[in-house]
Amino acid sequence: MNKKVYFAAFLLIVITAALITSRIFYGGQTIRPEFKRSLWRVNIIMDLMGTGSRAKVRFTLPKETERQTIYNEHFNNEGMVFYIRDRENTKNRIGFWRSELLNGSKTIKYTFSVLAKSADYQIPAGLVRPKKPLEFYPAEFQPWLLPSIEIQSQDPRINQYLSKTISKNDAVGIAVQKIFTFVTTKVKYQSEKGSKDATSTLDQLVADCGGQARLFVALSRAAGIPSRIVGGVILENGVKKITHVWAENYIGNQWIPFDVVNRHYAYMPANYLELYRGDYILIKHVGLSSFNYFFSMGRETIPPVDQPWSLYSLPLHFQNTIYALLLLPIGTLVVGFARVIIGIPTFGTFAPILLALAFREISVFVGVSCVTGVVFLGWLMRTLLDYFKILIIPRLSIVITTVVIVVIAIMMTGFHSGKREMLYVSLFPIVIITWIIERFAVIQVEDGTKAAFQGALGTTVVAIGAYYLMEFDFVKKYLFAFPEILLTIIAIQLLLGRYTGIRLTELFRFNELKKVYGKKQS
Amino acid sequence: MITAPGLLGMNRRNIDYILSNNSRKFYPLVDNKLLTKQLLEQHGIPCPMLYFEIKHNFELKLLRELKHMKEFVVKPARGSAGRGILPITEQIGKKWKTAKGELLSKEDVEYHVSNILAGLYSLGGADDHAFLEYYVRSHPIFRPISYQGVPDIRLIIYRGIPIISMLRLPTKESGGRANLHQGAVGAGLDMRDGITIGGVHRDRLIDNHPDTDTKIAGIRIPFWNDILEIGARLYDIFKLGYIGADFVIDQLLGPLILELNARPGLSIQLANREGLRPCLDIIDKMLGPKPVENELSPEKRLRIFREMLAEVNS
Repeated sequence: MNKKVYFAAFLLIVITAALITSRIFYGGQTIRPEFKRSLWRVNIIMDLMGTGSRAKVRFTLPKETERQTIYNEHFNNEGMVFYIRDRENTKNRIGFWRSELLNGSKTIKYTFSVLAKSADYQIPAGLVRPKKPLEFYPAEFQPWLLPSIEIQSQDPRINQYLSKTISKNDAVGIAVQKIFTFVTTKVKYQSEKGSKDATSTLDQLVADCGGQARLFVALSRAAGIPSRIVGGVILENGVKKITHVWAENYIGNQWIPFDVVNRHYAYMPANYLELYRGDYILIKHVGLSSFNYFFSMGRETIPPVDQPWSLYSLPLHFQNTIYALLLLPIGTLVVGFARVIIGIPTFGTFAPILLALAFREISVFVGVSCVTGVVFLGWLMRTLLDYFKILIIPRLSIVITTVVIVVIAIMMTGFHSGKREMLYVSLFPIVIITWIIERFAVIQVEDGTKAAFQGALGTTVVAIGAYYLMEFDFVKKYLFAFPEILLTIIAIQLLLGRYTGIRLTELFRFNELKKVYGKKQS
Repeated sequence: MITAPGLLGMNRRNIDYILSNNSRKFYPLVDNKLLTKQLLEQHGIPCPMLYFEIKHNFELKLLRELKHMKEFVVKPARGSAGRGILPITEQIGKKWKTAKGELLSKEDVEYHVSNILAGLYSLGGADDHAFLEYYVRSHPIFRPISYQGVPDIRLIIYRGIPIISMLRLPTKESGGRANLHQGAVGAGLDMRDGITIGGVHRDRLIDNHPDTDTKIAGIRIPFWNDILEIGARLYDIFKLGYIGADFVIDQLLGPLILELNARPGLSIQLANREGLRPCLDIIDKMLGPKPVENELSPEKRLRIFREMLAEVNS
């Protein structure tokens, strides 16, 4: 029997390894060859502080383009409502976080991996500038040809400079070249607060990336070339807050990037991450008393996974469900180990795992206090109900109902005493903790109060262990990227299922026998 | 792997002995006490007589028959670890006195029975049946070393052969029940003659009974050879390779089987001050591969039992 089990376990581990290897080396053909060079993991951390009013934050999320691939996205929304909207014209992908009533602080974390390639663009020579660009280009190009608030492309000064810089019959390539040279040579770089529009940049000839890009866009539009601002971040190791802005001109059926500050002419380095198109602001927020954000970036450590078969390719709201599901087997590992190797008594296999999942939502401290409170309440109720002599099922129902009354009472008290965060507890942890009381009561009837308290303690301890293993970043990342690891978990459980060694707690239980053995030998 | 010399742990018991020797389909025969009783009676093995059975709540009215009964025990059919057992020793007017000395009305007994029916005492809380049976009056030899309740003799039978045994003595703490984890005292038995060696209480070795303070060692179990003989016949009836049989010795009727257990506990090792594995290994060596135990007669099994004793003690 043992040989068969070992073989099955071995087979499962081999299958896991084979699946992982094949997916790394043969699966994601589009990603793999370059992942060492320009694969980044980007964290965007936003600290929100609210004073009890409606709050809303919007952030433009990166999207796939020809030169950047976004994957392994993960959102930690801290209970705020989150949704994504795609903008019709710009194709920008905007994430919204909302809270009807935000009191206290929240930290939103948005993490994704990006594979960015460098790109060189050829500007076709001899492309004639249309006399009437608004009619020449399709209607959706209108916003990129007409002036906007900070890009005053019809301002007389812009036109005046333009006519000084380029001649009327210059082809598109030459005109862009001249505008690029004009901005790069005439405008000095200086980091500034706030945004500067195109005309002020022209007047002062000093600006940061925003002002310079706006001037470039304004001149380009004035020259009849569709042009727009592009915003993003320059990827580099470490933490930063500074974003970057550059320009894109529509030349010969494609958008070609120009960065006047860093002097990239029709070229994008591999470490440019594009976040939005158009002259927008990356982050907007309403109803917050304070807001802070930063980017934390590093070279990616997880190899990219075969995209179509990656869990990351699922819609985001499903990802969290799958995420929680994946953690269940991790929890069973802890429970299996605790029960088979150590011998800690728990309320069944599932209770500690569910409790650990509840801890994820309400933190270990709050969770343990709740379990303690509820168990104590249940014990009190049971002692009281014993007096009435009531059948077991109604008795348990009464205990559960009492727990519900107490939970609601606590929430109401919290609400009226200004502790509104008490309302944020979702249904799941409440149900789990209430359910613990049923297990407690049943064990108490079956094996006595001492065994029930031991079980409650064991369950809590194992749940804390499972929680910390579940929260272990390494486990989370790899399990989500390679769910085939679950097969290895089955393999471990198979081996655990044939473990015939003494449980650690049994050593204590049979401790007295040692004395006897000692005597026999002497 | 953590091991201790000779000791059988929970993991090994489950994998190597229970899972490998006890086929799941035979479990109900021992988990349901009524089925056990029926089978034992069919094979002429003595057990406490069944008075009547209550399957549904509407049958509670059968309990009016109680007024004719002076002593009886109420039991759940699928209770475990001695839970839900209500021994009535005496009728006083319209009330009944329990072994613990409480006075119960008919309504109290009815409440107890309906709790049994609702599954309060059954494994996993499933609905259950209740039954009333003969009240065993223990053999007088045990009186000095037991507190209320009826002491029983747990005999573990591996592949049809008795291997280890202990006398279980109720205490005040165990509430008259004979289960070690509820606080009863276990006293190991010398398998050759059924004489008690020391005791164990709450995983501590003891010499005297905690309530009566009488010496536990040196008591000879009456009808010891009958117990071994009955034990050797059980495999043919129940087909379970690793079971614990619980015997009581009635002062009038002699040894009776109270119940069987397909997952006997491990504390018997503490009570006997030795691990189980040497015995188990000797049996495996002597019997060879399964399923030879099917062909052995009870007499042959007892012969193997004696050979095993000789080998263990050599």
